[in-house]
Parts: sequence; structure tokens; C-alpha cells
Amino acid sequence: MQPLVSLDRVSKEYRLGVSQISLPALVADKLRAAVSRSAENHHRGRNLWALRDVSFELARGQCLALIGSNGAGKTTILKLISRITKPTEGVVTTDGMLTALIELGAGFHPDLTGRENIYLNGAILGLSRKYISRHFDEIVAFSGLEVFIDTPIKRYSSGMAVRLGFSVATCVQPDVLLVDEVLAVGDVSFQQKCLKRIRSLVENGTGILFVSHNLYMVQAVCDRALYLKNGCVKSAGTTKEVIDAYEQSIHEEHTPTKSDSTADGESGHSPVTITKVEILPENGAANSHVLSSAEPAVIKVSYHATVDIGPLNMSLFIRRSDGLTCCMIRTASDGHRLWLHRGSGEFSIYIERLQLITGSYSAHAYLLNDSDSLALTPAGRQSEWFMVKGNSLSYAENSGVYEPIVKWSCE
Amino acid sequence: MTSNSVSNTPMLDHIKELVGTRDLLWAWTGRNLRARYQQSILGWLWAIVQPGAQAIIFTVVFTFFVRVQTGGTPYILFSYVAIVFWTFFSLSLSDMTGSLVANMNLVTKIYFPRELLPMAAMLARLADLGIALLLLVALMVYYNCFVLSVAWLCLPGILALQILLTTGLGFACAAANVFYRDVQAALALGVQLWFYASPIIYPVTVVPESMRTFYFLNPMTGIIEAYREVLLYGRAPGSYLATSAAISLLVFVVGYHLFKRIEFQISDVI
Repeated sequence: MQPLVSLDRVSKEYRLGVSQISLPALVADKLRAAVSRSAENHHRGRNLWALRDVSFELARGQCLALIGSNGAGKTTILKLISRITKPTEGVVTTDGMLTALIELGAGFHPDLTGRENIYLNGAILGLSRKYISRHFDEIVAFSGLEVFIDTPIKRYSSGMAVRLGFSVATCVQPDVLLVDEVLAVGDVSFQQKCLKRIRSLVENGTGILFVSHNLYMVQAVCDRALYLKNGCVKSAGTTKEVIDAYEQSIHEEHTPTKSDSTADGESGHSPVTITKVEILPENGAANSHVLSSAEPAVIKVSYHATVDIGPLNMSLFIRRSDGLTCCMIRTASDGHRLWLHRGSGEFSIYIERLQLITGSYSAHAYLLNDSDSLALTPAGRQSEWFMVKGNSLSYAENSGVYEPIVKWSCE
Repeated sequence: MTSNSVSNTPMLDHIKELVGTRDLLWAWTGRNLRARYQQSILGWLWAIVQPGAQAIIFTVVFTFFVRVQTGGTPYILFSYVAIVFWTFFSLSLSDMTGSLVANMNLVTKIYFPRELLPMAAMLARLADLGIALLLLVALMVYYNCFVLSVAWLCLPGILALQILLTTGLGFACAAANVFYRDVQAALALGVQLWFYASPIIYPVTVVPESMRTFYFLNPMTGIIEAYREVLLYGRAPGSYLATSAAISLLVFVVGYHLFKRIEFQISDVI
């Protein structure tokens, strides 16, 4: 079967810095060129390859996620597919009707009412006036903005505008739908509604290209994924495989290097620095990055102090790879205080069971003064990323945050 | 099946695509009009007030202070007939030039044929022209000058020529404005000079005979003269209109070609 979208060895080059053209700059450039002949190949502005040799296909009824850090080329891909910009090399082919949720309500005019903007936005998306009229009530009902439909958009909140934009954009069954990080806006119940709509579109054969930094949403919606880094495809496959590769790569980037661990930013001013944070299975091998959710674990914090110092407080956060803080461990709340000796040393925190779901985590430790109000190590120290294996699958939809200890009983 | 690559798509596809998006063209024109007259008391009456006020000022200056011979036609009618069409020309040009930059967020986020934005800007001004013409008809009736004649059949042709010239220039300026914002400022100056180089506030007869050939190289000269000839004197325009037609067509072809050549750089540069 013909793919809906196919990219064949596509590259895109942007030139940086050419927009700062002005007469004085041009004259200065010409003068410089006149003085030294060698300035021929000295271009104003550098070139940047936003995409390098990218090839992939999107089939009917498939939902493909594009993941990667900012500037990896995700939005550039969407722009090439929607023909906003042309590739420098290669061919992008699309088949059928395409709708893009790149910026919801980009065509809204603040002075026009919701009703007028629905028609306008529909026209921008390529829908005829007749089609919109037929589906008008449906669009308004989905947005839940019946009361405000004859109010100018400028009086809407940003969430309301996004809701209207999404409703218009998905009132059709497009062949290809591009979604770029737009669902982050809007409240939770509307997000749920949007996800449901997206799933029903997929079931009816729409091919979706989904860009999001929210890996949990990606896991919930997409069956396949593509991991981009600096414009190149790093990994492609099932969502789970690709997310694992992505996290592995984040993990590698965050692994502190030798020079990193000696320079702790403010160390010059602070009498104490945290030199290392480690999390290990209680009885496991030292280098293991995989912990079991049900087993005990030990967090080891190494420090270096220039004087004997105490009493001190310590706060430790365990954060998931998407930034969610899963728990806080604080001496202040446990009624405990630390006394540190001059020189290097370490202390540890014993956790009976991690109880975290499968995923990638890291621990961040901070030292604070006696009253727990002033950080002595403002930058803190982050542990390496570690994996936790739990009972649930990684990032399965609605898998939650922690695994409670439960007992079942039958009357 | 559409493909996006470095090579350009053929002209026929452009036209097919434009026809396919006519709904958007109308919607965007309507948006321009509604947005312009929203929250304003006079609303669409501004389309009459602006050229009307100009005509009144020129009438005061050129009938009471300096006498300009108009061959028996009341000066206000003589000047208004030219001013309405000139206003359409100059405001269209200015709106078209700014249309891409003003809608930057749309251009960089959504695909549609880019010529829609300048064209919708021009069409919105065409609607204004329609409104302003109501005052012209009223003036003609008042001065007993309203005589339907066969020559009126030329009007659509003259208007078509004017639109060809306006859009051609507008496309070129809109495209250039994406790269250099100087265009918008230079255009304002250029249009001002052009105003005096066209027979709007004075008749062609005041231009020395020896300079006439040169004078008619300005396509707006022929177009404005043609409107006057038809509307005020009920005569078909003379051969001078052929010069205007040739130049307008040339301007359109060059302008549109320029626009299409840079179309896909717009979103990268804007």
C-alpha cells in the first residue's frame, strides 16, 4: 500500500544571521572584502543543517511520534510535510488531505467573533464554507464554547482559543494529521477529549505525526517513534524501543565527567560541596543502574567540607525523566540533622522499597542550613540516571507513579 | 499526491491550486474588511470619507487659490473621479506590500498558496472602491453629468488593466518586503511622487506637448485619463490606453514571476 507520507533522503539547510542586513553592515563587509582578497569565502552568517538525510514513511492508520530535544529538527519535518518550506535536498511526498495542528488558531483574528473565526480557520485548513456550515454545531459542541461563540476572540482566554482551534482542525477526517506540541495547553479534561479524538481518527485510517516532549502522552498515543538528534535519525522502531534509546542517550549526556565533578560552581564560597550522589541496590553490584522496584535501595551522598560543619539539613528529590518529582526525602521532615567532618566523607539513606514504576529516574541532593531556609549548595548535585524495573510495563498508559504494597482479600 | 522538493512546480498546477482555494480567498478578503471596520463608528463610510475629503481640499485649493482649467467640468467631479481610482491603487499597493509580513505567524505555520494574502488585500480595497463609487454616481447625478453611453462598456476593461498593474507591482513589492523592510517605506515615498506624475489634480493638457509621449509611459496616466474620458465625457478611450495595457501586462508578468520564485523562501526568511 502507498504510504501517506514519505521522506526520501531529505535535508534542510538554514542560513543563520542573514536577517541582520543593514546598509552600514553591507558597506563594512564590502570594505573588508576590498582590503583582503581572502574574504571571498567569508560569508556573513553560518549555515545550519536542521535535517540531515532523513528518510521515513507514514502509513495509513499509523501514529508516529517524533521525539528529541529542542532543535533536533522535529518541527522542520512537519514544516516540510505541510509544504511551508522546501527541502534543500531530497523529496517529501504526501498523499491525500493534510491537516496540521502546528499552531492552533494561527489564523484567528482577535477582532472577529468565534463564529467568524471558525469559518476563517476552516478556510485556512482548506475546508469549504458549505462543509463548515454543515458541521458548525458539531464543532461548537466539541469546543464547549456555545455561550461565547458570538464574542470576539480577543476576549477569550488562551485555553479557549486553543479549544476552538482544535475543534475546527479535527472536524474533518484528514488523511494526514500533524500534531506539534499543541495539546500541552488546555485543561486536563480537554486534553483527554483531544486524545480520544486522535485515537478515533487513527482507527478510521488517519496517519498521524505526533511531536511531544511528554513521553507519557507519546506512549499513550503512538505505536511507532523516531528519535531525532541534531537533524539525524538516531533510532526508529516501536515507541518503547525508541523511548528507551532516547532515555539511554539522555542518561549518557547527563553522566558527569571528571572535570564536572570537581567544579561544583559555587564551591569557592561554600564550606561544603556534594561531590557525588549514587543510588544502589542494597546488596547489588556497585555499577548497576537497574534497580528493582520491590527491593531495598541505598542512596549514597559523598561530600567534601573545608571545615567541620553542622547541624545541616539535606533535601533529596527523585525525579522521573519527564521532570516529574516523584518524592522528596528531607532531614527537616524526618527530624534528623547532619554533622559533617572536615575533608571528604559520605552518608547514606536507606529506602526500604523504591516502589516506583518502571522508568528512568535520577536523584538530586541539596544541603541546607540549620533552619532549612538557605541552600549551601544551590546547584545541588544530580545522580546518574538509573532505571527502575517494576511490575508494570514502562510508560504504559495510565500506569501511574508508584507501586503500592497491596493485599487482596476475598470475603 | 503532492511532492515537495527543490524543483519548482509547473505554472498550470499553481492555477489549479489557486482555484481550489478560492474559498480561502473570499474568507480572507472578508476578514480584512471586517477587521478594518470593526469597532469603528463610521465603519465602511470611511471608504467614502477618505477620497471625499481629499477631493474637497483639492477643490478649495485649485478653484479658489489657484485656478486649474478643467474644460467646464466642476473641479470636484474632475478630481474625485481620479482620486477614487488612485486611492484604490495606492492603498492596495501599500496593503499588498505589507500583507505577508503582517501575517507572519500564518505564513510560517500553515501552507496555502502565498499569493492569496496580497490578492485578498487588493480585493478588500476593491470593495472599498465600490463603496466610494457611490459618491461618484451621486456627484455625477448632482452635476447633471450622468449619461449612460456605449463607452461605459470599456469600464470593466480599464478596471481589469488597473488590477493587473496593481497586483503585478503589489506581488513584487510584497516579495521584496519579506527580505528588506525598506520596501514599505520606499513605497510610501514612491506613491506620493507618482501621485503628482499622474493626471489626478490637473488635466493632461497642462503637460507640454513635447513631453506627452514620455508622460504616457506612466501606465496610471492612461488608465486615469481613460476613466475620465468614459465617465465624464462618454467617449471611448484613445490609443494611449494601449501603452498602459502593454506596460501593465509586462509589470504583472514580471511581478508574479518574481513572487513565485521566492515563494518558498518566505517562511525561512521572514
